[in-house]
Amino acid sequence: MIPDTLLPSPQDEEVENLHPEIDPLDERAAVDPALFEDMRAEPVFARAVLTSPLHLAVAAESRTNNWTVWNGFTTPATLTDLGDEYRALRGAAALMDISPLVKYRIAGRDARPFLDRLVTRDLGALEVDRALHVVFCEGNGFVLGDGLLFRLDDDEYRLVTEETHLAWLLDSAVGFRVRIEDVSATLAVLSLQGPLAALCLAEAGVANIAELLPFAARWTEIAGMPAYVSRTGASGDLGYEIWIDPDDAPHAWRFLLEKSGPYGLTPAGFDLRELARLETGFPRAGKDYLSAFAAIDAADARTPFDLWVEPLVDFGKPLFNGREALRRLVLVEPRRRVVPLVVDGLEPARFAAVHANGRLAGTATSIGFSPALAANIALATVDAAALAASDLAVRAERREGVSVREIVLPARVLTEPAWNNPRRLAIPAPLKA
Amino acid sequence: MERRDAVVIGAGLNGLVAAASLARGGLDVLVLDRAAAPGGVSAEREIAPGFRLPRYTLGSGGLPARIVADLDLPRHGLRFVRAEGGVSCLPDGSYHASYRDGVVHRREIARFSRRDADAWTRYRRDMLRAARGLGPLLEGPARTIPKGLFGGLRARLGLADRIAAIAPEDVADMLRLWTLPMSDFLDGYFESDVVKAHLASAALMRGTLGPCSPTGASRLVAPWIGEPGDAMGGAPETLLPHGGPAALVRALMSVIEAHGGQVRMEAEVTDILIKDKVVRGVVLANGEEIGAGSVLSGLDVKRSFLSLFQWKDLPEGLVERVGRVRMKGVTAKVNLALGAMPDFPYLPPGCPSVAGGLRLTGFIPAQERAFTDWRDRIPPRDPLIDVLIPSFHDATLAPAGMHVLSALVQFVPETLHEGAWSGERRDALGDLVIARLGEISPGIESRILACEVLLPHDLESELGLTGGDLAYGETTLDQMFANRPFPGMGGAETPLRNFYLCSPSAHPGPLVMGGAGANAAAQVLSRRRKRG
Repeated sequence: MIPDTLLPSPQDEEVENLHPEIDPLDERAAVDPALFEDMRAEPVFARAVLTSPLHLAVAAESRTNNWTVWNGFTTPATLTDLGDEYRALRGAAALMDISPLVKYRIAGRDARPFLDRLVTRDLGALEVDRALHVVFCEGNGFVLGDGLLFRLDDDEYRLVTEETHLAWLLDSAVGFRVRIEDVSATLAVLSLQGPLAALCLAEAGVANIAELLPFAARWTEIAGMPAYVSRTGASGDLGYEIWIDPDDAPHAWRFLLEKSGPYGLTPAGFDLRELARLETGFPRAGKDYLSAFAAIDAADARTPFDLWVEPLVDFGKPLFNGREALRRLVLVEPRRRVVPLVVDGLEPARFAAVHANGRLAGTATSIGFSPALAANIALATVDAAALAASDLAVRAERREGVSVREIVLPARVLTEPAWNNPRRLAIPAPLKA
Repeated sequence: MERRDAVVIGAGLNGLVAAASLARGGLDVLVLDRAAAPGGVSAEREIAPGFRLPRYTLGSGGLPARIVADLDLPRHGLRFVRAEGGVSCLPDGSYHASYRDGVVHRREIARFSRRDADAWTRYRRDMLRAARGLGPLLEGPARTIPKGLFGGLRARLGLADRIAAIAPEDVADMLRLWTLPMSDFLDGYFESDVVKAHLASAALMRGTLGPCSPTGASRLVAPWIGEPGDAMGGAPETLLPHGGPAALVRALMSVIEAHGGQVRMEAEVTDILIKDKVVRGVVLANGEEIGAGSVLSGLDVKRSFLSLFQWKDLPEGLVERVGRVRMKGVTAKVNLALGAMPDFPYLPPGCPSVAGGLRLTGFIPAQERAFTDWRDRIPPRDPLIDVLIPSFHDATLAPAGMHVLSALVQFVPETLHEGAWSGERRDALGDLVIARLGEISPGIESRILACEVLLPHDLESELGLTGGDLAYGETTLDQMFANRPFPGMGGAETPLRNFYLCSPSAHPGPLVMGGAGANAAAQVLSRRRKRG
């Protein structure tokens, strides 16, 4: 749109020999770190993209150059191959950079009363160094977001969400003596998921990792760097998340791969995280449901009862945001629900429209081919009335070359997640000393 | 006597849209205009040899997709450029750009307040909801309750049904939006003064309300009208016709010609032939009479009724009601020819939002002061300035490497407290605008090859636009929708049979470009169909 007078002309001789030390054919060529430095004070357009603190370490593992964007951050879609990464996740362990998640530190004398009013769940049982999946709603009972709430100390919590919610958190905090900070940029996160996840951490020198219970967390050290390890992660299996200083994170990433590579620990990208989440049946904010603040059409806003089978609402708690509205909503049947679907067909298909008895009844928002079920699975928002219909189907597109065929594939609601291993909640087998 | 199915008075954008729709509907149409070239308010002029730009308007804004498709304008050479939403430059040296991408736009807001970056999501939702709610109202003629027992009853029940379907929380939201001042409404979302000034300044342009005037918040919705559903979560985009408004005019002329219509320039209509309260045709300045089945006036409501008719021919009370329609000049236009590309050293290099325009504005208190200055008829001291450099999109508008700059100056009174504008006052306004431009683009003064300043009364004398009001009637809520141009005449049909108003003086006014013309044509065609 604007004449490119600021760009050097391509004929410029000097441009070509600016970096003689870089060999363009070396695939492990050093990347200029200045490209990825965080420069927050700079205007938006002086910086092309946001990158995670682990960007260079993760980029070094990429064999596919297949990138995507997650919360505005450059993120690998796949690093090697989704099939290989999936095999590692289910058979050994996979390591993912999930730093683009949004993290808030909530601390102060009133942190607990504030959170009690914010989220729908009872926080009475939340001890220090434990995590809880929480939901927060607008006054009319529609979901604004969900996330993982860690209790770091008596009066200090960390809320980890998919989308940003600072305006709502600050608006709800009026009158509470509480400090709310967005600490996303100062905290890197690694996700280590898979049956051998505990072994991988033990190999990296984390003592007594097997004793860490599901949703528990504690401080430890990885190669001498302090790290907060929690037994969380939506993979439906054993898994840990490592919360670490951004400067230390790339070293921890390399150290874990080096130490546990022999056990099959494989770096993986965002596609694997999405597939694992889909197999576990976890809806993602912004993809499978819209925050009530983003739902232009009011019918797109969801209640907790539409979204989760166990709706994470404790009416025993006397006061929380949306309680009165939710008490009314719990009595009526949801109009639409977010449900996992399994779709017939032996090869990956692309689809969105969900039909019941030949009529449009909903939309599949996340789709994927589950190697575990050897079938296409999806999370779909479907009219509650259509869920009982005998013939649920999706209109799928199958592409071959440049031609496309439209086919109708029968679908049904999954009654249990495609992957829900008992290991998820069990104590890992004793590890070697 | 020459006879036509329809005569359109004025070859402005709406007149041409009306004529093109009628011609496509199979009518024998004649467009008459007193100027030498078509375009009216959208006309393009050469301000120095080789430098062309829209003379009276900024040059942004395109026809709605519905009119473009109905008239098949792409086949007649019309192309659009979609640009980012523009940049506000504030006196403290900061700037706020609008981006269509939600992530990038929220990151831009986060430079001022991370909290406001999240509040944007809710603001955008509420703006889009309001714009969607307005959609059906803007697509056709304004809804007035029809006469007759059954029609009236059905319309009333339908209205009651729709009102009953609105949830109580939404009623509160609607009330806030339609009654609050802009500044109070924005306080409900944002904390950053920069963010509020950026949004308010865009909404203040071309309006007659200040940021603290009641009902001003409703103006914030305007840019969201027509925003597509698959938008990316950021600010609404700016739609620019490739080649400026003149390209719209050329495409519309081509449609009229292709369907057998005629446009006659330098033909001023001075009178309307009227017999038994039925309009029969028009009389030209040279005495020529042209008979017409329908006469559509693209002139503003005051000129249409008060200067084309003998007042004794008009129904009782009409003269008084038309006289009371408020039309106020509020903008001046400054056109510059630049010998070189202007620099914007304080904006990030390559910022795509510059393409959507630059706005030089103060914070909300300064905007309010500019508004009260206008109300008190004080010569502008610190006006809002909306700048577009059309040659960024279309290099043919200026000689190679050179540019034309189009600036709309907001809050310029039609007459000053001391009387008419003097030559010195006019020069001072031009100097003020150039000085303000120099603050964001140092050295621009030395690149100016030609400069012209058009005050509201210049618009009135050159275009015949009462008061130089580019909105064709104040756009406050009491003069919008079913009340536009005045209560009792919501739409293009006038109390006089066969006489229609196709200028933005009629619904939907300046909210939808070409909307008034399309409405008038639709009403003429449906009336003819009924008569068989």
